[in-house]
Amino acid sequence: MTSRLLAPFDLLTPQSVSEGVQMLAQYQSQVAILNGGTALWNHHRKLKHQPPYILTLSALKELDYIDYIPGEGLRIGAKAKICDLIENPVVAARFPALYEAAYWFGNPQIRFMATAMGNILRASPSADCSCAILALGGQVVLQSQSGQRIVDIDDFWLSYDVTARRCDELATEIRIPETGSTTCSSFQRLTRVRQDLAKINVAVRLEMSQGVCRQARIAMGCVGPTTKRLTGVEQLLVGNPVTDELLQQLATAVKSEITPIDDQRSTAAYRTQVSGVILRRVIERALSANMNCDSRERS
Amino acid sequence: MKNRLITLSVNGRNYRLNVEVNRTLLQALRDDLKLVDVKYGCGSGECGGCSVLVEGRECINSCLTLAVEMEGRNITTIGGMMRKGELHPIQQAFIDEGAIQCGFCTPGMVMKTASILAKNPCPSEDEIRRGLEGNICRCTGYENIVRAVQTASRVMHESDIQAAGGARP
Repeated sequence: MTSRLLAPFDLLTPQSVSEGVQMLAQYQSQVAILNGGTALWNHHRKLKHQPPYILTLSALKELDYIDYIPGEGLRIGAKAKICDLIENPVVAARFPALYEAAYWFGNPQIRFMATAMGNILRASPSADCSCAILALGGQVVLQSQSGQRIVDIDDFWLSYDVTARRCDELATEIRIPETGSTTCSSFQRLTRVRQDLAKINVAVRLEMSQGVCRQARIAMGCVGPTTKRLTGVEQLLVGNPVTDELLQQLATAVKSEITPIDDQRSTAAYRTQVSGVILRRVIERALSANMNCDSRERS
Repeated sequence: MKNRLITLSVNGRNYRLNVEVNRTLLQALRDDLKLVDVKYGCGSGECGGCSVLVEGRECINSCLTLAVEMEGRNITTIGGMMRKGELHPIQQAFIDEGAIQCGFCTPGMVMKTASILAKNPCPSEDEIRRGLEGNICRCTGYENIVRAVQTASRVMHESDIQAAGGARP
């Protein structure tokens, strides 16, 4: 039992968000935040200098919620777990990309412990829920003693393991904008076995009207230091009917927009090769789910 | 380093423990309470060897959980599965189906099975396989384990599930 001992630390257990924010202001970069714990300990073991304080959110029951506000969208509290997303019928019905990312996430024990907020804050390019939230156009709510600020997910990851969260800020909520009857979304990933981290993952949110894509947000992971928006591919897609020819064009175009590397899970060459395949699949899957909705509404 | 005094209920027995805050639940169970039926596999939440039940229903990796975070909770390990000197139906099913070779993953497998059946008494094969994804066995190839879960599901009644892990929420 000695090879995996956790380095010594002092544990801070705030009883309210305001107390947590006050502790963060006091200890600043000396403190790491413990939520589900599935990524934190494994990450800490790799660090040369581990923070002397750990602030746990375990007593902050007020952050354990998933609320849907019609017309506004989804609000996911920092303590809402991955398994809560899967069990929430609104997530499955209105935000399929997030549902699918949660469904394929980790393994059952991990899904019961890990949180969507932890996934975002870990700032890893292979994070599944992060990929879906980027495609869905989410926002992160950050609370500090000087008030609240809301950061678009597009601006949240600065580089690998670096986020826009200042060390005196507590990330309290994820917001996902409302979807409508013309919105479709989906998520796909490739792994060797099911519980692996992704070799590559991708998520889309499309606004469709009469077979033509009016707006698109496409996110791809494991192809750069952070999960990436594919803005070039989005531009090719918007304003056009989604034909086989166009999908082929997108599958070629994506290769020039990504910068994958070799690592223990895959190679740059393989990731480049499959990026177009998985992109095509995710768009087709999103559109077919959308058509099913349409036919259900008509019948 | 600060210590905290916590109360843990493990297998129906209450313990008061003075633990350092950086000790995991797995360390508290194995090293402090000497409950070595909980296995230390990977220590990073991938193998499921250290799976224990919380409140008789949810399975967690005890290697990723701080002991102090479990204050006041009811924990069940495989050592708490026997009743009146008899093996629990899940344990018996693992024996009957030959779902054990080296046996190291078995405590975790049995606890995860208890969690699967507590939520879904009649799971399909797909649901069983998805449920066991977080528990790695390097010997058996999983076929007999899946059969053992199916057998346990057939012979178990609601009362067995409750007896496995105490009251359901």
